[in-house]
Amino acid sequence: MNNVAIIGTGQTKFSKEEANVEKLLFESSNECIQSVSNCSSKDIDGVLVSTNNNSKYMGAILSEFLDIQPRIAHSIEHLCSSGTNAIISAYSYISSGLADVVLVSGVDSTTNPGQILEWDRSRGNFEHPIYWASMLTKAHKRKFQTSEEELAIVSAKNHKHAMDNPHAYSNEPKTITEIMNSKQITKDLRIMDCSRSCSGSSSVLLASEKSATEFSDSPIWISGIGQKTTSASFTKNDLDEIKSTHVAADSAYKMANILPNDIDVAEVHDAFSVCELMAISELGITSGEKSGEFVRNLFNTEDRMINPRGGLIGAGHPLGATGISQTIEITNQLQGKSEKRQINNAKIGLIHNMSAAGTSSSVMVMKN
Amino acid sequence: MTFFDEHLKKGSFQICHCNNCDQNLWPPKEICHICNEETEWSESMNVGKIIEFSKKNSSYFGMIELKEKIRVMGEIFSNDEPKIGQNVTMKAFFDTRPHYSFTVENN
Repeated sequence: MNNVAIIGTGQTKFSKEEANVEKLLFESSNECIQSVSNCSSKDIDGVLVSTNNNSKYMGAILSEFLDIQPRIAHSIEHLCSSGTNAIISAYSYISSGLADVVLVSGVDSTTNPGQILEWDRSRGNFEHPIYWASMLTKAHKRKFQTSEEELAIVSAKNHKHAMDNPHAYSNEPKTITEIMNSKQITKDLRIMDCSRSCSGSSSVLLASEKSATEFSDSPIWISGIGQKTTSASFTKNDLDEIKSTHVAADSAYKMANILPNDIDVAEVHDAFSVCELMAISELGITSGEKSGEFVRNLFNTEDRMINPRGGLIGAGHPLGATGISQTIEITNQLQGKSEKRQINNAKIGLIHNMSAAGTSSSVMVMKN
Repeated sequence: MTFFDEHLKKGSFQICHCNNCDQNLWPPKEICHICNEETEWSESMNVGKIIEFSKKNSSYFGMIELKEKIRVMGEIFSNDEPKIGQNVTMKAFFDTRPHYSFTVENN
């Protein structure tokens, strides 16, 4: 199996405004290709587009935009974790030898479908994600006595981190008090506990070891991958765990030959505040009981270990681009290029991306 | 429209059962995924227990486990704050999508 690295990155600014997805795709993919000085679009033999947009044939359309004729070109949809699913597909093409250099571009516009899984009959008319998020939050409060303030700190921390992320949809700080006083969506969920659907695009270029070392001085290696899907229906899962994340993390750690405490920096899927608390415990970074205290400590000590770019809550959530933006952040961190957001001497990074109330998770471990 | 949705439109929540495997199947399907036999349909007992709940404006909602071991989300009618494990009865209908609502027993 060939080793695979990320060698290039590009992304647009996220925005709450409706936008043309083809224009966004072209912008981030062009920036991505130009970020690798020795590489041109003609070196690319795979193009994967991650999106929940209803447009068809996007892999071929992006290839034609770039004036290339790759061997492999298609789109990938898996709701909120479309991005990491596309990266892992590209990894598989390269590691198997079917492709050598693959461009993965994710895009969505703020009103694209994908937030709501219409198929899920078990949700009744409570199909919007705010309802499953309320269930998970209530169950977390019940099991761990999680306080409203601990939930608000997740959001305050991620908004604070997003202030230093030029691609975030907003760079405005939010205080814990502001968050706790923000509009109550349900008894267990406030508007500032929620990530916002955005327009935006992110792209990465993946390459085999041979091409990566030829094209880049600082390739970042994908050293562990784990994935798990437990169901499509929300109600088939226990409310006090995200089993798919736990299983995916175990696989990724085993493949990378690391333990959770080896991780220097992690991007986790904070679709809602409670998701970050659940994710860091399912990933083994802390325990469920201590997850609130762990995040409080990060916030108080200005430790950016979790979600340094601001997560989904701070940076915004253009569904198909999210997993790719998470991967770009970890790539930049491991290359020492994260400027104000930089974690000192980061060697091992983790990406956690999930879909539909955690019914499916992807975990990747990266090393420099 | 599926068999399940059509019956839901008339207010009947149909449970899909494989007689051969002796288990209820959710989401409902016409052929059992284990033995490939045709499934049977029967009306739910329309009773269940509260697994979790929250509140939006003045209305409670939550996840209910039906007696038939199927979990669904719906509105909960209760004079007082609902309790985990509390028994509920279900009413169901379908317009553009399914609606399930639950009334706490001895409300």
